[in-house]
Amino acid sequence: MKKLYFMFILALLLGCGNNNASTEEVSEVVTDETATTAQVSDDIISDILQAIPSPLEISFLIKEVGTKYNSTNLNSIDLVSNYNTSYQQALNLGTYATDLGYANLYGKNQDVLSFLNCVKKLADNLNIGQFFDYETIRQLASNSGNVDALLQLTQQNFEKINYHLREKKQENLSILILTGGWVEAIYLTSLVHQETKNKQLKEKIGEQKVVLEQILMVLEIYKTKPNFSTLINDLKELQKVYNGVEMKTIVGKTRTVEKNGELIVETDTQTVVNISDDDVQKITSLVKSIRNKIVK
Amino acid sequence: MNMKNIVFVSLIAVLSVTMSSNAFAQCDVESFSNKALKALQPGFTFVKSYKIDGKNGVRKNIDYTCVFSKDTSYMIRMEGKDGGPNGIVAVLFDSNRQELATSYVNNRFFPGWTYKCKATGIYYLNFSFKESQSYCGAAVLGFRR
Repeated sequence: MKKLYFMFILALLLGCGNNNASTEEVSEVVTDETATTAQVSDDIISDILQAIPSPLEISFLIKEVGTKYNSTNLNSIDLVSNYNTSYQQALNLGTYATDLGYANLYGKNQDVLSFLNCVKKLADNLNIGQFFDYETIRQLASNSGNVDALLQLTQQNFEKINYHLREKKQENLSILILTGGWVEAIYLTSLVHQETKNKQLKEKIGEQKVVLEQILMVLEIYKTKPNFSTLINDLKELQKVYNGVEMKTIVGKTRTVEKNGELIVETDTQTVVNISDDDVQKITSLVKSIRNKIVK
Repeated sequence: MNMKNIVFVSLIAVLSVTMSSNAFAQCDVESFSNKALKALQPGFTFVKSYKIDGKNGVRKNIDYTCVFSKDTSYMIRMEGKDGGPNGIVAVLFDSNRQELATSYVNNRFFPGWTYKCKATGIYYLNFSFKESQSYCGAAVLGFRR
């Protein structure tokens, strides 16, 4: 009978465990491996991961400033088979995802298909390939002129991957994918800035101070996992340079207007980014070295 | 333990796990997210979706953090089980928790809003329920440079 009660209680506990309250901030320490992550709740980690902006926003800016597509700036598709650990695979899944978005945006369908194959291979290796609608994306890429649908589906697929990884408590892979994607995006931005000296790109590089903070916050949680400390240290070096970047917010008025049933909110609040040419150069150089370590 | 007990315990275990995972599983967030996506205006590129699952009224507020960039417009579109945006309010706050935008204006539920951002930084997106019957929906975020 004792066993019966034990199993009953266990069954109830198992059941309740699936509905963790969203406000839960501290998890119980179950094993040594989870000791670090137990200090920060899954919801907080998820929230930070969700907050990290899509590299696509940067790719849009790169295209907007009028630069031509340059495939030599992107990760080589030949390197995909070199990535054997989940650490390398997740980081480079992010790298190729950014390259895929960039190629998508420029309508470079052959490159889209090549990067798609890399993404598929790495996603399969990480057992998350089922969330990537490879066939539909391939068809969309083959029929040129459907960039919006292509971007949308790709974004949705990556979102599904991230949700799945969070559900499976594999946020460590999620943050690696996001970090790889972010490093590639800022790498591309800095390369284009070197060529063009475009003011908007310079500002965009400076603004990444905010994103780097978010990324490091999550990476730190997994600092005991293999290879994470090297990546964290590299990004902290980058953060040291970013400490010299000043972001000032000038608060202004905000007003809402209704136009054709749409609410449009306009604001006078603006940020001014002060970043020296010297710091841009240092960031460019550091990002290049971090990116080289990731894609090697 | 006799056979009767084994069957009883197994039944309890299965029921318990099934009930707990299904109790709040009635909110089909993905279908609402797809609907909201269709409501995103042309020119806006989809970047993120947000689950608005109030767990049958247990969760009153659902908060998300976002990083918005200057010189970019962000559009929120919502769809819920109550029909369109009804019953759901999306509010945007700046990093000092000052309200910037709300989708509930003049006692009317709007499908979302467009925020013309000029300041890069952290923003907070809050979804809450007002006179909701279902406490269930989803939102999508699109951007336009």
